[in-house]
Amino acid sequence: MLKIKRHLIFGSVFLLGAMALGYFSGKSFMSMHIDDHIFPSSGLTENKMLSEYFPKLKKTPGDTPVFIFQGEQPGRNILILGGAHPNEPAGTIAAILLVENIHVQAGKVIIIPWANHSGFTHNDPQEGSPQRFSIRTQDGQRWFKYGSRLTNPIHQWPDPTVYINPSGQKLAGTECRNLNRSYPGRRNGNLTEKIAFGIMEVLISENIDLALDLHEAAPEYPVINAIVFHESSAEIASIAFMELQLSNLEFRLEASPPNLRGLSHREWGDFAKVKAVLLETANVSHGRLKGKPSASLITEGRDKNYVKADKLGRLFVPFKEEGIPLKLRVARHLASIEALISALQEEDPTKIFAIHGLPSMERVKIEGIGQFLAPPK
Amino acid sequence: MKKTHFSIFMLFLAFILLITDPLSPKEFPQFKQPVLITSAGQSAEVQLASVLAKRAGLNYSLSKTATSRDLADVKTIALVIGTSLKGLGAAGLDMSQENERVSSLIKATQQFNIPILCLHLGGEQRRGTLSDQMIKTVLPFAQHVIVVKSGNKDGLFTEICNTHSIPLIEVERAADALEPLKNAFL
Ligand SMILES: [Zn+2]
Repeated sequence: MLKIKRHLIFGSVFLLGAMALGYFSGKSFMSMHIDDHIFPSSGLTENKMLSEYFPKLKKTPGDTPVFIFQGEQPGRNILILGGAHPNEPAGTIAAILLVENIHVQAGKVIIIPWANHSGFTHNDPQEGSPQRFSIRTQDGQRWFKYGSRLTNPIHQWPDPTVYINPSGQKLAGTECRNLNRSYPGRRNGNLTEKIAFGIMEVLISENIDLALDLHEAAPEYPVINAIVFHESSAEIASIAFMELQLSNLEFRLEASPPNLRGLSHREWGDFAKVKAVLLETANVSHGRLKGKPSASLITEGRDKNYVKADKLGRLFVPFKEEGIPLKLRVARHLASIEALISALQEEDPTKIFAIHGLPSMERVKIEGIGQFLAPPK
Repeated sequence: MKKTHFSIFMLFLAFILLITDPLSPKEFPQFKQPVLITSAGQSAEVQLASVLAKRAGLNYSLSKTATSRDLADVKTIALVIGTSLKGLGAAGLDMSQENERVSSLIKATQQFNIPILCLHLGGEQRRGTLSDQMIKTVLPFAQHVIVVKSGNKDGLFTEICNTHSIPLIEVERAADALEPLKNAFL
């Protein structure tokens, strides 16, 4: 009798424990479906959703905020896209930094910080990546999700064995959830293709002149610290490249190959006739040589394996003890954006563009990102 | 009195020589316009050369894949050296087709007596087996070479230029190639 009773007590405690574990891990898992906060500057003129450009995205996990900064005078129109790959935080954070700081006097800036919104609701299985990383502001910590390169399979499933993208290129099946292989999108396609289609609608209906796609890649990847340009933006990319060299920033200038289909720097230029440029910075938390994944690896960017790899000449960027922190990667993106905008103005001075509050590379490098982010409310 | 005149004249002459420094322009060849800018290896630096030529106010045209047919009225060829597999892919060429195009272009320039100005603007990042091969084939035919310093760390450009007595200018960054490019033209 006593024996059975003891089993009952033990069983109940075990069951309750399992339920609690299930509850808390489930809650943590589901918390990835809640958006981070963005606090736009007073320069924001309109806050739209992507579904307002393409209604089929309405009430889907692919719908995402579109921040519009319309100047009083007409002029150049610029689109800045972050988070096409939600595990490349320098792009997302640079985009959020812009939303929270800029004022546009002439022309228009449109910012989409979470381009693949679904990709921010999970992260890559078996990678051990943290769900979030934090940045200290003047008054408290801000937390940001670290997502996956691909759309969440809960939202788009199953993957085909071979994926043929909207431009007809054959790719591995999982690439059907890669936003930056899905342009120019499909009106009746899968969720990722619909997001791509929505972004094309923004480019076309907002008369965008220059569109920038912000990314990151591993230091062992050859296209790194790169400016990849569509042929229509060859001149401004070259001017920006030389401008950045004068600020001691080395980049790799690469032309977008016309036979590499589905990517922003190709299809935005071909289909929406905009000047399309993709920017890459070097992120160790992305790489295969890294040690333990952690939130500080994302923000501090220090890793001894990469220091060793650099000494062996295996990397495409210099990598020293001090690493490549997030603030430096964001600063590079900001410097590139500034250089490309001024190149655009140099190319055709008759069309105006005036922006204030763009945090400078030097200040972000010295004062940190948090100095330019609103404190959490 | 005469002596004073003479010494004043000599002083004046020395002053003129000093401010005009007649040696410097003669050290480097002078090229004529229009100039055709083309690539040797299809790296994106050909676009940098085009922006520099525009800023230098040169009469130029850009054809990344120029052939002997594009040489009508051209007085100078600016060859921008650097091999990029991405760039070759973009131009729809493979390495052997690009080598073939560049060598037949060089042959044609010799036939028509068109001088070649070589530029290497990609620095250290645009060196490596494929680029080096292109440098070694093309550089000996140049009349003048401008190179971004970090691309000549191992002295490859210096060595080839010395062997073939080609005047070489090193610049710190791509943007710094503007002045020597401007000065290279009449
Ligand atoms: Zn990416």
